[in-house]
Amino acid sequence: MQRLRRLVWKEFLELRQDPRLFGLVIMAPIIQLTMLGYAATTDVKDVPIVVADGDRTPASRNLIARFDGSRTFTVIDTVTTVTEVDRFLQTGEAWIALAIPSGYGRSVQDGQPVSLQVVADGSDSNSTTVALGYATSLVGEYAAALTADLRAARPQAAPAAAPGIDFRIRVWFNSQLESRFFMIPGVIALLLLIVTANLAAMAIVREKELGTLEQLNVTPLRRWELIVGKLLPYGLIGLIDVLLVTALAVFWFEVPFRGSFTLLLATSLLYVMCTLSLGLFISTVSDTQQQAMMTATFFFLTPMIYLSGFIFPIENMPRAIQYVTYLIPLRYFLVIVRGIFLKGIGLDLLWPQAAALGAWGAVMLLLAVARSRKRIA
Amino acid sequence: MAVDTAGAAPTISVRDLTRRFGKFVAVDRVTFDVARGEIFGFLGSNGAGKSTTIRMLCGLLVPTSGTALVGGVDVTSDPEAVKRRIGYMSQRFSLYALLTVDQNIRFFGGVYGLVAAKLADRRRFVIEMAGLAGREHTLARDLAGGWRQRLALGCAILHEPAILFLDEPTGGVDPLSRRQFWRLIDALSHAGVTVLVTTHYLDEAERCHRVALIHAGRLAALGTPAETKQVFAGRPILEIRAGRPVEAMRLLDAQPEVEKTSLFGTAVHAVLRDTAVTPQAIGDRLRDAGIPLDGVTTVTPSLEDVFLDVIDRENARQGAR
Amino acid sequence: MTKALAVYRKELRQISRDRRTLTTIIFVPAFFLLLYGYALNWDIRHITLAVQDRDGTPESRALVAAFVNSGYFDRVADVYAPAELNRLLDVDIARAALVIPEGFGRDITTGPAPQVQLLVNGDNANTATTVMGYAANIARGAGAALAPSDGMTAPLVSVEPRIWYNPELRSTLFLVPGLIAYILMITAVISTALSIVREKESGTMEQVRMAPIDTFSFIVGKSIPYFLISLASAALIILAAMALFGLPMRGNWLALFAAMSLFIAGALGTGLLISTAAETQQVAFQAAMLTSFLPTLMLSGFIFPISSMPHALQLITHVVPARYFLIALRGIVLKGTPLRLLWPQMLALSIYTLAMLTLASVRLAREKR
Repeated sequence: MQRLRRLVWKEFLELRQDPRLFGLVIMAPIIQLTMLGYAATTDVKDVPIVVADGDRTPASRNLIARFDGSRTFTVIDTVTTVTEVDRFLQTGEAWIALAIPSGYGRSVQDGQPVSLQVVADGSDSNSTTVALGYATSLVGEYAAALTADLRAARPQAAPAAAPGIDFRIRVWFNSQLESRFFMIPGVIALLLLIVTANLAAMAIVREKELGTLEQLNVTPLRRWELIVGKLLPYGLIGLIDVLLVTALAVFWFEVPFRGSFTLLLATSLLYVMCTLSLGLFISTVSDTQQQAMMTATFFFLTPMIYLSGFIFPIENMPRAIQYVTYLIPLRYFLVIVRGIFLKGIGLDLLWPQAAALGAWGAVMLLLAVARSRKRIA
Repeated sequence: MAVDTAGAAPTISVRDLTRRFGKFVAVDRVTFDVARGEIFGFLGSNGAGKSTTIRMLCGLLVPTSGTALVGGVDVTSDPEAVKRRIGYMSQRFSLYALLTVDQNIRFFGGVYGLVAAKLADRRRFVIEMAGLAGREHTLARDLAGGWRQRLALGCAILHEPAILFLDEPTGGVDPLSRRQFWRLIDALSHAGVTVLVTTHYLDEAERCHRVALIHAGRLAALGTPAETKQVFAGRPILEIRAGRPVEAMRLLDAQPEVEKTSLFGTAVHAVLRDTAVTPQAIGDRLRDAGIPLDGVTTVTPSLEDVFLDVIDRENARQGAR
Repeated sequence: MTKALAVYRKELRQISRDRRTLTTIIFVPAFFLLLYGYALNWDIRHITLAVQDRDGTPESRALVAAFVNSGYFDRVADVYAPAELNRLLDVDIARAALVIPEGFGRDITTGPAPQVQLLVNGDNANTATTVMGYAANIARGAGAALAPSDGMTAPLVSVEPRIWYNPELRSTLFLVPGLIAYILMITAVISTALSIVREKESGTMEQVRMAPIDTFSFIVGKSIPYFLISLASAALIILAAMALFGLPMRGNWLALFAAMSLFIAGALGTGLLISTAAETQQVAFQAAMLTSFLPTLMLSGFIFPISSMPHALQLITHVVPARYFLIALRGIVLKGTPLRLLWPQMLALSIYTLAMLTLASVRLAREKR
């Protein structure tokens, strides 16, 4: 036990000698969380739109003003012909182009239905659908207002409306549709992975590279003491990060926290065990820190980010790949974290994920420990 | 500097120790004993198998075959018990660069289970032995080569092991520090510590009680330095200091009585096949050929001569197969 | 120039001896592009839908059918109790729930407009917004179909949407350029971020200090082999994307080459700068994560639109090279944008690259002293 304490103490001493690393490890998660928290928004605003006004009447200018005045759109330029909008769309300066045909003002005045062309840049299909939707609603509201005015002035001229469906949409768990509420709990999981797995892997490989690992292998230190001694400091750092990031998420970004904090801590511990085991495993297949870094980034970090459901929903992936995602611990932890933060559900519903994490961690730990022998066979 | 080994069982006992890496045989049936308190030198060129052998004896590598008993413990079956009894200093002086002298000592002391008074005691000993008084709070990476080396040695003996394995301990260190280091090893040997040291500095090897020469994984020579030099019994070595050494060498090679020649610094060493011809005669021949001569003397063989001779013979043997 | 070449040759030799790293840098990126290209998309399908039809008339069934037949929704459950609906949403068995009130069939013809509710699981705001869009459309269409045919007239002003460059709105076409940018950035930064730090850690920096070479040439010399390797990797990725994902090429190959080269050079410069500034490899790695990995993912416009970010963050995106590269890449590949229209992006990339390489040399020069 005393030997173990010595090992952990030494690890912290070394970390302290490298203040930049220490700083990075504490500050980086905070910076990244802040970055992500503010970036992750599907709140569509200031969509750049270019207008080709073929009409140039007060009516058309009115419509343009409606667009410009709305929070959603910003009219970046007004041109005359439709061909001129090409270059705006090609350079991405505008996402949407609105073409108001000549004679628009006249038609509206006479109560004659008129159709406007709206061109959307499909190369950014996510934002496009949303922006297009907003444009349609905006025009629809504008049309309704115009129709109401027209009806007030000349009842016979205005077109009638059908009852239709009063369609109400209620959003659960995230009624303001704040993307960040979805992303930030995910970031906690991601950051833990990056910090603990990588740091642990590189720390061990570093000793391999420098030769001090051999020195440790010659001492009576037991294998488990060596492993725990190397991993424990990074586990502690990981947990500190969890606390920091959770505090930031709840108090600064006001992400709701509807579940149990103890459960979060407990499952974080499970998860950290998984990431540390992963780090240990990576260290057993790498001889240099560069190899450790490449292996970690290419074969573990990046796939885990993309395939865990962090940003891209798993249900959209091809079946074969969905099966693969069952192997990613981040997937389970994401469900847990999001469940605790946003839905306030407890262990009674989350136990499958917790069990999966436990199993994954145990297997990886066994694998990694088996590979890290004090003696080369 | 003879060691009294009468009656006592050897501290290290190696029999037919072999290690293969795939088809490559790194250590080939090496057999030797080391007595208590002996300074045993393991000589050989790089890649000859020295480090591999030491690693096996320390329990870092599993032998492919053969046995080794270190401190009475079988290395293959109980490596952990071995580790308790030994100290190890690796080629790269494995200290923690980012820790201070004091912190390194505390760390290794703690790892070996030294606490409180005992640790303080040993700490004082090591600091004094290494001459690091006043430098306790210097970072290990800021120490000059010689000090780092002595600190590494100190950390290896904190737990007072009976056996010490030193793998190329004096690499890249100035001659003065090297001499200081060997004085420490002598002191340890006097105190009864068995030291097995690998080196390719053949002048240091002269200070060992016994040496083993390893070449291509095989034990090519074993004995006290004097014993190993017996290979030159009846084959005197001449040292020729000539004005044009390369030309001199060529001429000497042409002489029938000369077995081989090699350059030693600016002088030429020539091994004669027997005692038939005198040094003066050889010198005359050179002078007759017009080569300016400073002198020709018979020298006692150095371990370097022995080493080169052994390698030649080993290579010849290999070639003959 | 010759000195830079010497450094370049040494670096190339070193790299070619490390087989594992070399193969990783060249082939793995393409492999992962394939993996992610197939795996990732935002086209929503198979939205699990729970249905609570309190009306049970032909009209209500027609509405449900409209949802199911749209191809977006999979009907997974019919429920009767509200509590059951909650549970299904809670445990993610259903991501949406359609609630049709009693009297729907009657009210849809006579009025007032019946209130139909759609509950959507909002925890992924991205998909939720899209789902809402689909649903609203379906409801509008169904409402129009079910309503009496007389009295149905067109609104005064309507919108005729046109989608350019990607008419089927395949999110793959949108994602693949982003993936390419991400993978190129990561590969380039990782290759170089440890290169100089390694020498610092192992002590061979002495050799660098002794060399009578100015640091700028040294930096350039070191980057060239990685540049060539990254270019090879990039070529593979683009070809894979075109062959397997149908990524079109509507623009100029030369322009594409120019944009990619600049971007890669900038990424390499970033890695080298990190390498000169860090003392240990661990720090270099964490710094690489912080400055390249996540910003390229989050702040480049790849996933989240920049115009929607707070202004402070938008300012920061100006130093994310992927931002400019994405505009150029999408422009050239999907829109056929000519190079002359992309000069702001190319200029920005050039400035970035030059800045990184210069800063790296300056930093290295300080080490030399």
